[in-house]
Amino acid sequence: MSMIAVGITGFLVMLGLMLIGMPIGAVMLLVGLTGGMMAFGQAFLTSSASVIWGVMSENTMTAIPLFVLLGEFLLRSGMADRMYVAFAAWLGRLPGGLLHTNIGCCALFAATSGSSVATAATIGTVALPSLQKHGYPMRDSLGSLAAGGTLGIMIPPSINFIIYGSMTNTSVGKLFLAGVIPGLGLALAFMAYIYVSNSLRGTQLSVVAVPRAERIRLLRNLLEPLSVFGVVMGTLYFGIATATESAALGLVTVLSFIVAQGKLNWTLLQTCFLASARTTGMILLIVAGAFVLNLALSLTGIGEAMTKWVTSFGLSRVQILVCLIVFYLVLGMFMDTLSMMVATIPLAYPVVSAVGVDPIWFGVFIVLMCELGLITPPVGMNLFVVQGIRPDKGPISDVIQGAIPYAIIMIAFAMLMIVFPSIATWLPELIRG
Amino acid sequence: MNRLESMAAAVFGLAFLVLALLVAVETLMRKVLNVSLQGVDELGGYILATSAALAMAVALVSRAHIRIDLLHQFAPLVIRNLLNILAMLALAACAVMLLQMAWIALDESMLFNATAQTPWATPLRYPQTAWVVALLLFVGVAGLQLARVGLLVTRRQWATLDRVYGPRGAKEDLDDEVESFRQRSAETGANP
Repeated sequence: MSMIAVGITGFLVMLGLMLIGMPIGAVMLLVGLTGGMMAFGQAFLTSSASVIWGVMSENTMTAIPLFVLLGEFLLRSGMADRMYVAFAAWLGRLPGGLLHTNIGCCALFAATSGSSVATAATIGTVALPSLQKHGYPMRDSLGSLAAGGTLGIMIPPSINFIIYGSMTNTSVGKLFLAGVIPGLGLALAFMAYIYVSNSLRGTQLSVVAVPRAERIRLLRNLLEPLSVFGVVMGTLYFGIATATESAALGLVTVLSFIVAQGKLNWTLLQTCFLASARTTGMILLIVAGAFVLNLALSLTGIGEAMTKWVTSFGLSRVQILVCLIVFYLVLGMFMDTLSMMVATIPLAYPVVSAVGVDPIWFGVFIVLMCELGLITPPVGMNLFVVQGIRPDKGPISDVIQGAIPYAIIMIAFAMLMIVFPSIATWLPELIRG
Repeated sequence: MNRLESMAAAVFGLAFLVLALLVAVETLMRKVLNVSLQGVDELGGYILATSAALAMAVALVSRAHIRIDLLHQFAPLVIRNLLNILAMLALAACAVMLLQMAWIALDESMLFNATAQTPWATPLRYPQTAWVVALLLFVGVAGLQLARVGLLVTRRQWATLDRVYGPRGAKEDLDDEVESFRQRSAETGANP
């Protein structure tokens, strides 16, 4: 059997095991080990040992638990909740009304809390009954919530970027900066869609006006989350701190707010610790698995053979990227998105590097594909959580149909990024080093 | 098991809070006073390795290791339980392999008296011993979980087996988050 056949068979076996419900991190680790040990025996285990120690004691990776903790503290202390109130007051006045609020709030909430489930739970619980009361079509409301929640992994801090950076030796700080414009751009594109579609249909969605004095007062709610965001992104942008250091500074900032409000107690700490340990343990097992798999692919030469094979078709950069959009669109329908990202980087990254795609740009592209995977049926995490939160007991097809326009916008945005790569690369190029 | 989970999580969380403080102080001192506390980044790496193993054990107890439940939910109970047992075996095998790798790394460090290539020149046997111990806990927890699966199988408690060891669906996560949110709003008295 040729290398390519082995590679493709291995990949399909791995996908199959994941689809029947085997734990994803374990599948990658065990498939990688099995493949590597079949080729090299005990020696592969020794190589893996030093790779795993290297990854697990790598300073960049410490940013993962730190950002997870940061998100938990913002969430459990109620800071993220208060942010919603302010946003609702300001954005509720635009045509399309509260639907804009959904996008804006979900984007910020997901970016700060790092959890799309927590985002849907919080925003959904508050927003859906009020949307229903004001006569918004359920389909539109659900779609905007599902789509808004995906923005969190693009807007920094984002765990996906840290993992991508560590797997491809790309600066996490630059990746974070690269995610800002596409993240905000997508949010604006979503809002533009809401504006246009509501204007065209002529639906008069009620607009919720809040007195100006009240709105000004509510701005205070944004102070804390925005200063945390400012500390994290500011120190990165001005080259003061690495991603790990900015996470530490952000975490200390949140904690000082919590202490200042007299809210620090053991129950809060314990809740945050438990949730962070769960998330981190899950992520790091997947990361460990991905590194072993990556090692097996590179040592056996399967990775290189696959790269040569794909590049031998002589496809251009644009053709390869369009193929990747289709590939990720299909894969994202069935797979958990973080796992999809780490499982495909070892194969996709060398291919795109070979045709001269910028590593930072590709990081943004792959995260955009993950966002798409969050709202494509049948396995779209955000579709399920939004469906789970709706007050009426309608069918999930409402959520799916509501989310389709946003999925199309994401694909269009990916095309736009292919034509104008500077959407992602302009901001990180501004900083030196 | 829950007590163990909370303790491991507390160690995990406190370690990173302390690390965050150290890193923040280090960064500020470096930028403001131009003085560097060397080795904080190195310490961070060691803390990560050990707490990652603890976190994996915590995730195991709370079924947080992601499993796709697309086909699972439509399968009959027998198949579901077969998959649940296989999944637990896979996680246990993973824990054992990680422990073995950590052991190999430690063994080599001891053999060659390896030190980290940093100003501290830490003998790697110390952080790697902590790593091995934490992974032993992961393996231990996996062993306990497997024993419990075995017990449920011998008692033929199939429904319980599927409930306790089935994949955590989105619904379950969501219910937890909604509950957490309700509590937060009740505490602050302000429903946003």
